[in-house]
Amino acid sequence: MLAIGLREFQNLFKSIRSIIIILFIFSVTLGIAKLINNYKEVLSEVGGLEGDIYMGGLLLLIIGAGPLFVTSLSHNAINQEVHSRTIRFLATKVSREKIVLGKFLGIAMYWMVCILVASLLILPFTKGFYFHQFMEALIFILYFVGLAIFLSTLITKPGMTMFLGSVLAILLPIIGLWSLWSENLIIDLVSYLTPYYYYSVGEHIYTYVVLIFPILFVLGSLLLIRKKDF
Amino acid sequence: MYAIETEGLTKIYANKKVVNEINLKVAQGSVFGFLGKNGAGKSTFINMLAGLIQPSSGSFKILGEQTHQRQKMGVLPDYSTFYDDLTAFQHLKYFSRLLNVKLPKSEILNLLQRVELEEAAHVKAKKFSFGMKKKLGIAQALINEPDILFLDEPTSGVDANAVLTIHRLIQDISKEGTTIFLTSHNLDEVEKMCDDIAIMNQGVITAKGSMQQLRAKYQNKLIVFIKHSRLNEKQMSSLRPQLEELANKVEWNQELTTVTVDGEWLIPEINRSFLHANVDVFRIEVDEPSLEEIFIKIGENQRSA
Ligand SMILES: Nc1ncnc2c1ncn2[C@@H]1O[C@H](COP(=O)(O)OP(=O)(O)OP(=O)(O)O)[C@@H](O)[C@H]1O
Ligand SMILES: [Mg+2]
Repeated sequence: MLAIGLREFQNLFKSIRSIIIILFIFSVTLGIAKLINNYKEVLSEVGGLEGDIYMGGLLLLIIGAGPLFVTSLSHNAINQEVHSRTIRFLATKVSREKIVLGKFLGIAMYWMVCILVASLLILPFTKGFYFHQFMEALIFILYFVGLAIFLSTLITKPGMTMFLGSVLAILLPIIGLWSLWSENLIIDLVSYLTPYYYYSVGEHIYTYVVLIFPILFVLGSLLLIRKKDF
Repeated sequence: MYAIETEGLTKIYANKKVVNEINLKVAQGSVFGFLGKNGAGKSTFINMLAGLIQPSSGSFKILGEQTHQRQKMGVLPDYSTFYDDLTAFQHLKYFSRLLNVKLPKSEILNLLQRVELEEAAHVKAKKFSFGMKKKLGIAQALINEPDILFLDEPTSGVDANAVLTIHRLIQDISKEGTTIFLTSHNLDEVEKMCDDIAIMNQGVITAKGSMQQLRAKYQNKLIVFIKHSRLNEKQMSSLRPQLEELANKVEWNQELTTVTVDGEWLIPEINRSFLHANVDVFRIEVDEPSLEEIFIKIGENQRSA
């Protein structure tokens, strides 16, 4: 399991797409921090200026673009191996459950490192490590890591998960944000299934509730992969 | 305890029993050969035991357990791909980690040498030829020094030299006590390598035993084709009991009858039966099929039966 996770983790760092995404996250986070810093006199007159406002930039970026980043990098984590049949070498050596868990772990580690490095980069501005904001960003990302794993177990064609992953990554935020204003019952119900509702409540504890979703997604994957023929 | 034991093992694809209620026992330490035409169901059978596909019904035991014994098992699947970005060496390294086997560099190189890939150890697998991939496939099946080894067509598509290397390797591994289950299209190969064989056709095992037993049972049969005048009812009723007494098998046709017999000495008897029934015989042809042809035939007979 760890070997599979480690390979997934390393592979993510090797791909061009992931390097671009990392550079993008780092530069935008830094850029926002600098921008805030430039206007800090103005801002501190308006209201209290605290260190976590710099982390807010990172969190906003993760909430806005994170879903697309995750699905574009990891939509085919499982089904690509099934498609190319490399999974035959894995499945004859480790259990299917370990394949799924290893993949999830590798991708989760990758994002933890990315978010951690990004928050360390703005340390000169924040003057401290804001654990809650870090966890919020991470848990939010884990929702979509779980979703990507689930989709790539459910759907065999990597092309299909690419498409579906992108659609969901755009649709879920729209539904999530829309529900904040909408009175529509269905939209509201669906929004309980997205992380956006829980993040809009404004209580830290609610963001930890979101952890249930990646656990459910992974459990779903574990059930699905048992029945598969490779 | 058997190395492999299956009971009613079945796989259904699109309402067709591709593997049809197979009961099979493979003795520990033996080399077992699975022979059959394309599409017979050999790979499907192996893949169920290897944990790659789910049986539709039936059960199996591997080394006495009803679960896949991944730590004690090596598998060369019929079809698979390697990772484009890894070399032969890196593949074995990665796969050994999956199995929690600590392989020092020297042992990985040693394994690659056993399949004659030492020179390609640090070449990326995407540059490998078909035969080289097959060799790497065999090497990865040996990482954990398995007690039971599944090899799906270990020698198809490799050059004559490599076939010899692979045969020698299989014999060496067998001497170390590993049970080997292999599939092949080649009777000579199976005869050379295997203690026991089974013939599969259309998802069922049509013959099973040691090569000696199978030879005794099926070899040296003659197939006699008799071209004759059209048979009427009376002639048929006279001929039928006589021919069925002489032959293993008779296929009737209006003007051509095919009879399978144990030996030459029965041919004059057959001829006499036709004369006795007042049938004009125009031509008699005799065919002595190879064991291979017979094996294909027995499969077909059972299917139509
Ligand atoms: N995934 C699948 N879906 C539908 N049918 C399948 C599938 N896999 C195999 N089959 C069918 O099952 C039958 C047995 O296939 P299998 O690969 O087991 O044969 P085989 O004996 O290994 O043949 P070969 O000698 O060509 O390797 C074939 O008719 C094949 O078409
Ligand atoms: Mg096959």
